[in-house]
Amino acid sequence: MPLNSTRRHFLRQSSLIAMAPAIPAFLRPAAHASAKNNDERILVVVQLDGGNDGINTVVPFANDGYPQHRKELQLKTNRLAKVNDEVALHRSLRPLADLLDDVQFSIVQGVGYPNPNRSHDVSMAIWQTARFDRDDHKSFGWLGRAMDEHREANASGAADSVLLGTESPPVALRGRRSTSVSLAHLGDLKLRGKLTPKTPNVDPNDDLLAFARRASLDARGTAALIDEVAGSASRDGAPYPDTQLAGRLSSIAQLIKSGFSTRVYYAIQSGYDTHAGQLPSHSRLLNELGGALKAFQDDLNSAGLSDRILTLCFSEFGRRAAENASLGTDHGTAGPVFVMGSKATPTSPTRVTKAVFCGVSGQKFPLHLLLDYF
Amino acid sequence: MSSVICDAAVGSSNINRLKAWWLYRMLKTPNPLRERLTLAWHNHFATSNIKVQDVGMMRRQNDSLREHSAGRFEYLLRSMAHDPAVLVWLDADANRKEHPNENLAREIMELFTLGVGNYSEEDIKEAARALTGWTVKQGDFLNVAKRHDAGEKTIFGQTGKWNGDDFVTLLLEHSATPRRIAFRVCELLMGESTCEDSLVEELAVGLVEHDLDIGWAIETVLRSEAFFAAGNIRNRVLSPVEFIVGLIRCLEINSPLPSTLLLAETTANLGQDLFNPPNVFGWPGGRSWLTSRAIIGRANFASALINGELHSSRTPFDAAVLAERHNVGAEKLLPQVLLGSELPTGMKPLKKEPNQLVTAVLSSPEAFLG
Repeated sequence: MPLNSTRRHFLRQSSLIAMAPAIPAFLRPAAHASAKNNDERILVVVQLDGGNDGINTVVPFANDGYPQHRKELQLKTNRLAKVNDEVALHRSLRPLADLLDDVQFSIVQGVGYPNPNRSHDVSMAIWQTARFDRDDHKSFGWLGRAMDEHREANASGAADSVLLGTESPPVALRGRRSTSVSLAHLGDLKLRGKLTPKTPNVDPNDDLLAFARRASLDARGTAALIDEVAGSASRDGAPYPDTQLAGRLSSIAQLIKSGFSTRVYYAIQSGYDTHAGQLPSHSRLLNELGGALKAFQDDLNSAGLSDRILTLCFSEFGRRAAENASLGTDHGTAGPVFVMGSKATPTSPTRVTKAVFCGVSGQKFPLHLLLDYF
Repeated sequence: MSSVICDAAVGSSNINRLKAWWLYRMLKTPNPLRERLTLAWHNHFATSNIKVQDVGMMRRQNDSLREHSAGRFEYLLRSMAHDPAVLVWLDADANRKEHPNENLAREIMELFTLGVGNYSEEDIKEAARALTGWTVKQGDFLNVAKRHDAGEKTIFGQTGKWNGDDFVTLLLEHSATPRRIAFRVCELLMGESTCEDSLVEELAVGLVEHDLDIGWAIETVLRSEAFFAAGNIRNRVLSPVEFIVGLIRCLEINSPLPSTLLLAETTANLGQDLFNPPNVFGWPGGRSWLTSRAIIGRANFASALINGELHSSRTPFDAAVLAERHNVGAEKLLPQVLLGSELPTGMKPLKKEPNQLVTAVLSSPEAFLG
């Protein structure tokens, strides 16, 4: 059963819908969504922490330089997932190759910024703030600023952005006016035990108390909704691998399907700081990434939501072409960015675009993409 | 004890420890009203460590807010206008003669004093010029004369070679300022619809007569009939901090206290992350505290507190002991203390399970209101 109809089913069943004009904040957008198509777009950002080796992710197998620079770390051509005659995906990303065929996945090659600083902190700060000046790095992020601009559109009370994970909230989400919350997991929205007693009848003269009682009922509805969507997710053919990233993306999908009006979700996969013995660890990381992204997209597709959701996947920098002496790679400059979703053609109709740099302002790529998207 | 914890928090540069210190202070203080006022002013001059990134500055701001919390508004406003955390938060250092940055000028009028509608865009531009030269150096306020625009400015129709302190004086003399303080005091102490416009207006007039003395305004409201009116009971949504601190004080869970670091984490999860208000407007408060996530969070907090999960000793709360201490049956004490009413019918079956009853009472909508 498509999850959309689960939500509608719930709302139709729910006694809360009967309270129409007074319906509390959380369910309002969901009720709205069930009444007519909700066309608000949602951005999901997946941050690969540590500087992903782009060259062994989108592999330029046909380039003479590849075997020259990667004597030990060269990936076997016959096991790669070919994108075209020049480049191929690491075999661990094979699940994503299916999405390439369906034009739901786009690779933007060589994304970076001018005069790159190869420090993790500084590079990540530039990515997250879309600003070069170090003084600007502790203030507001590009998503936070973009959400500031869209503040009025989200009057429902839901946070403008949600980080799913236990990491500190990234600078990217900080805004001056917009709000961001972190959920370690959906358990944060689950009630331990039960709110045992039924609430007594509402006294019509007691407005605030009536509101509080209705809000409590609503909260129970939310808990039930999360449970219901969580329960049905396992039944409706969108299985996720048993990895941390997959779990986070699965939670994000559930929140979206539950009708939250949040426009930006964020998840972080760490571990890409591979300076030594890189091949097995990189393969494991990309395996987790590919499996999670594919499951997420399948889930959104089966819920009929893929038109509304764009997933952006980036890392603070790529690695140098030449391998180092300890079977790893050192900090480089630009790297590939993935964009996923049925509207995933942000820069060019061709699926692989070469050398799209941020531009002199340093803002072109992320802000340009986002502003176009919203 | 409190200052030892505070110094250690600043020394650690860990803002979570400063949050824990403030909660410790709220739980232990013999003067809870002062902490509530400090919290209210933290919300009014909403400054976030997310941008300030300096635990020492946040602590100094907190101390200033407390020191002036019930004194003349002039002292409070002047201390905030020179407060390093405020200046960093509102980009004062980017405000130079050649390139005025209007942020501090705008927010000082919109949020700290007058409110929207009582100044023009031109006033903002001119006030920004008056404020040029103010900055923060090594954690302290600094007035850099060569960055100051010494020319004439016209603010609120008055022309002069105003500097930042002159601008603050103009704000203190403006008629919209007492109204806004009166509104804030009423908002803090009164329920959501109890505070009629006429009452705010009357309080504003009194504030002018009393040199904008906040303490006078507080006392006036606390002695007023409106404050004790039936309609003012349970007519205010408790903020997460008030809810948590209130419950722990009320249940007398004080030796040992629960982990204040965990409590700080909880208030943040419930929507009120101390020293990190969501934006320049502070916490929106009121009904917006009661999101689904926060209500579930409050219920889960109550359950964790009663089960002893917030104590390192993991000792569950003992309702019977509290009831005995007050010489009443648990079934009477709890609803009366927490709800100010009889036990709702739905909860009666829980009478024989005191801890479950407490959890149910604490999770009930009535417990979220004050």
